[in-house]
Amino acid sequence: MDIITNILNLFGLEGKLFIAQIINFAILLIILKIFLYKPIAQILEERKAKIKQGLDDAENAKKALVDADNQKTLILKEAKVDADKILENTKVSSENYKQKSTEDAKKQAAEIVDNAKKQAQDEFVKASKQVGAMSVDLSKKIVAKILSEIFTEEDKNTVLSKAVEKIEQGGYEKTAN
Amino acid sequence: MTLAPSVLFNIGSFPVTNTLLTTIVVDVIIIALVIVFNKCLSLYPKGIQNFLEMVYEYFYNATKEVSSKVEIIYPWVITFFIFIVISNVLGQFPGFETIRFHAAGTGEEGVPLFRTATSDLNVTLAFAVISIVMCHFYSIRYTGIKSYIGRFLSLSPIFLFVGLLEFIGEFTKIISLSCRLFGNLFAGESVMGTISSMSIKILGINIPLPFFGVPVPFMMLELMVAVIQAIVFAMLTMAFMSIMLEKH
Repeated sequence: MDIITNILNLFGLEGKLFIAQIINFAILLIILKIFLYKPIAQILEERKAKIKQGLDDAENAKKALVDADNQKTLILKEAKVDADKILENTKVSSENYKQKSTEDAKKQAAEIVDNAKKQAQDEFVKASKQVGAMSVDLSKKIVAKILSEIFTEEDKNTVLSKAVEKIEQGGYEKTAN
Repeated sequence: MTLAPSVLFNIGSFPVTNTLLTTIVVDVIIIALVIVFNKCLSLYPKGIQNFLEMVYEYFYNATKEVSSKVEIIYPWVITFFIFIVISNVLGQFPGFETIRFHAAGTGEEGVPLFRTATSDLNVTLAFAVISIVMCHFYSIRYTGIKSYIGRFLSLSPIFLFVGLLEFIGEFTKIISLSCRLFGNLFAGESVMGTISSMSIKILGINIPLPFFGVPVPFMMLELMVAVIQAIVFAMLTMAFMSIMLEKH
């Protein structure tokens, strides 16, 4: 027993100091647990979540980029097809339009020519009529002048009317021919 | 340098020793670190936060590797490490062992005002007892009393003998944990004290060895020992707890 007491004294082992150290450690553990380990764990968790979020975002962005690239290629392909189609349609419609315009122009030209011919015919008929009327007038005047010197007034009128009638008949026939 | 810590004064019947005073200084430093840490706590770590996060993550991950009950074990392991490493490193600072306190009955030389806390067997023994007692407490709590008793008692004579050895082993764990830390730190302080007090006589003049920087390599060695011993204590606690928390 003395040996143990001597050893304890040699190393300065004291019950009160021993218990004080245990209490001290317990207090320190509680303080560190609340004010150090908990905040560190929280901040590490937050950081982990943020890093995960960042990586996920990067992955999503990468996927979105690939999707956008694919979509771009698809759109460009579709646009090219559409453009080719539109170009083809435009060519066809322009060809049709050209043909139609040419046909319309030809038709219109033919119509103009026909109208011109008709108008010329009408003008000719009108002119013939006028010339005929003028010839009748002139013949009347010539015949009247000649007959006034040979025939009486009554004969003169008879002959004149018959002559006019004849002239008129002959003149129309001529005009008609 | 004595094995026992020196009593500076008494508060009633309670003796205040130089190692107890150092323990309080260590506590103050740790609390100051915690306050600074909480003040500059940020998602983007820098300075002290980096260091504390590094320590936390190192021990947390190490515990995770050896046990599934990481949340129970790691606070003990890190607290042991932080306290022991700060206490050990603090012992290398100027003023330790050199600042003397003149109390009644301490003679003309007085006693050191500060002494490394872990060079006091009271401290290391307290830590070892806490470590082992908590191992057993958690073992009963998480594995059940039947499994706990099964470690030490068995109907098979061979396993009964093994259990007896295990039982004795629990006491030797306390002795080995406490004496290893105490021995290393006390020996280190003794060596440093001896080297620092030695002198060489040149042309009839006594020149102290520290003048030639002789203690520097020893200080480096002591710093290494300080960190290594803190890690050893923390790791052993981790190993003991993880073993005791597994079902028998």
